[in-house]
Amino acid sequence: MRKTVNRKKITGFYRVLGIIMPIIFLSLILLASFPALDMNGMQASAEDNVVVLRICNWEEYIDEGDWDEEEVIDLESGDIFSESSMVEDFEQWYYEETGIRVSVEYSCFGSNEELYNMLTLGTQFDLVCPSDYMIMKLMAEDELLPYSDDFFDAGNEDNYYINGVSPYIRQVFEENEIGGEPWSKYAAGYMWGVTGILYNPEYVSAEDASTWAIINNDKYSRQITIKDNVRDSLFAAIGAINSDILLSDSFRSDENYSEKLATIMNDVSEGTIAKAQDYLQDTQDNVYSFESDSGKADMVTGKVVANYQWSGDGVYAMDQAEEEGLYLEYAVPEECTNLWFDGWVMLKDGIGEDEQKQAAAEAFVNFLSMPENVVRNMYYIGYTSVIAGGDDDTVFEYLDWCYGAEEDEEDVMDYPVGYFFSGDEDDEDYVITASSDQCNRQLFAQYPTNDVIERSAIMEYFDQEANARINQMWINVRCYNIKDMGIVAWGVFILCLVGVLALLIKARKLN
Amino acid sequence: MRFSRKMLAVPYIIFLVCFVVLPLLVLFYYAFTGSDGYFTINNLLDFFTDPNTTGTLVYSMMIALMVTIVCLAIAYPLALVLSFADIPRKGALVMVFVMPMWINFTLRVTALKEILTFFEGNLAYHPLFNTVIGMTYDFLPFMILPLYNSISRMDRSLLEAASDLGSSKLHAFMKVTLPLSVPGIIAGISMVFLPAMTNYVVLDMLYNSTYIMGSLIGSYFSAYDWHNGSMIALVLLVIICIFTLLSEGGEDNTRGGALL
Repeated sequence: MRKTVNRKKITGFYRVLGIIMPIIFLSLILLASFPALDMNGMQASAEDNVVVLRICNWEEYIDEGDWDEEEVIDLESGDIFSESSMVEDFEQWYYEETGIRVSVEYSCFGSNEELYNMLTLGTQFDLVCPSDYMIMKLMAEDELLPYSDDFFDAGNEDNYYINGVSPYIRQVFEENEIGGEPWSKYAAGYMWGVTGILYNPEYVSAEDASTWAIINNDKYSRQITIKDNVRDSLFAAIGAINSDILLSDSFRSDENYSEKLATIMNDVSEGTIAKAQDYLQDTQDNVYSFESDSGKADMVTGKVVANYQWSGDGVYAMDQAEEEGLYLEYAVPEECTNLWFDGWVMLKDGIGEDEQKQAAAEAFVNFLSMPENVVRNMYYIGYTSVIAGGDDDTVFEYLDWCYGAEEDEEDVMDYPVGYFFSGDEDDEDYVITASSDQCNRQLFAQYPTNDVIERSAIMEYFDQEANARINQMWINVRCYNIKDMGIVAWGVFILCLVGVLALLIKARKLN
Repeated sequence: MRFSRKMLAVPYIIFLVCFVVLPLLVLFYYAFTGSDGYFTINNLLDFFTDPNTTGTLVYSMMIALMVTIVCLAIAYPLALVLSFADIPRKGALVMVFVMPMWINFTLRVTALKEILTFFEGNLAYHPLFNTVIGMTYDFLPFMILPLYNSISRMDRSLLEAASDLGSSKLHAFMKVTLPLSVPGIIAGISMVFLPAMTNYVVLDMLYNSTYIMGSLIGSYFSAYDWHNGSMIALVLLVIICIFTLLSEGGEDNTRGGALL
């Protein structure tokens, strides 16, 4: 009898458990699969007029607000500091300006391809920040929503982007077209830079670092890292292969120099790709590694003496190294450099016809373009903003705050940045008097000289066929080819395999 | 609704369907379609005709084999000592060997990188060696535990009987201990060999620039080629299935699992 009672109790317990657990579990799954149900979403449903803005940006690519308490940028025009993250500040600012509550759902991606795959899989975003070639690809695939006419209205003081964007960058965005339409219609720039070589002057001469051929220079065998992505590596390889042409005087003085340079650097014909493959295969035996993030730290710890690096990360690494008492330098190869941009684009799929949402998205871009916010972001992430500030000199002041020489300093130079700030390279208002060694350090990496800009080319996006060819090339470089396998290796391999299989079968018999 | 004990499995079944079965179906779909969306077996043919893919498969297996052999060579003697030694609080001692697993994986490999750099000077000259060391470091506890469990559960009277019947210690080991520990060996191998074939993070962190299966799959996905990428993942899955089926019944590591 007792037993039966117990049993009943247990079944009762199981019954309750069996009902509760699936409910808990189901609700967990529901919660996880509908982000709208999380905290922001609940507020949204409570107040009807909340605009939800879904933003996806690179990791660590915006001021997140976690500054030390005493950290402050004390410019003449006022102190700039950060108490909360840029995103929170935007939500508050937008409410104060318009009376509309906006709730930003902020997420991050690690590579352009990752972002593209997310979009293809149906993840919806309103505003994203991919690089130049991905913007081109999305434009060509008709995924993007054009910015409204109001956004480009320079008469409105609140349009910080159009009033502040550097004339140089503006020109680039207007001159480059996809399908007959300029980039500027669909994309607002965020950060920009060039590619080059970060090097340790103790071991590497500036001359050696100023050519793409350094990646295959056996003087630095196993002491240089290059980028673990096919586009950057291909660019360097094409630059190195065509070094003689690119450096020749006749090519340099050609009247169509810029166009010809762009054609050479974007040549992905079979012949060029085959040559690039050979070059990169040799390079693989010469470099320390293909890195995606470890290069900066390895420069600082001294594991390598040179590192193929984007200018922004170069600045970051030089700052880090200085804290350790190590002075690194940055060189841009004489042949050519890859001019790159990251820009904000609005997605048709996310925004659609929602005008409130589009207004909020455009306001976000304008908010990021307010001079003090530009300075906050630049200070926080180390990259260079496309915003020059227009009539407002805060950004230039910040530059002077960072790199301007002390009054009693003797070894100084005049460093013109007029091409960026006013569009006139000889503009005397935009000259920084900096310590001489800055001409190949942070200042140079952050705002390259005009001659660097002249030898820069944008790397296009490639069509499917060319893309497949490039990726196959990369796989050929990176994979172990079975045809290279010797007889001994085959023997050992088969022997081991048979051994393992025999063991497994023996074990079956034992049981 | 009548309740039966089977219903306790409902949460797990939901989990299984959402996160295992559905993704698998998607994998199948992409593996057997081309970029035009129609059925094709070209991806499968590509796998076996592309010298890079097969080469990578062999390369991954070689690494996995080396790691497994090194792990076995280190773990087996240790498991023997641990199970036969007369030490108080043996459980705590076993814990010590499992402890590295409680530390974050990337942190461990970063530390290892510094240690290896200290000894070698420049890591780039021995990529394969570093990879094997790195993975051994990572997977060793998975080998120790099942071995320790199967050996320590062995009936000691069998060894006494062998010795009574005039068998030497070595002979007894070969005839009694070794065969009885085979389930542990199998469990250890399957817990080391299979993950070692795809764990590309260790390669990345220790600067081995040759692709293994995991990184190859990733490279196809970042080139927007989901079809070939899925096929490689699928073939790998089939290979793993074959290994697991062959070792079925050999696995007996339930007590090891509790410790982890």
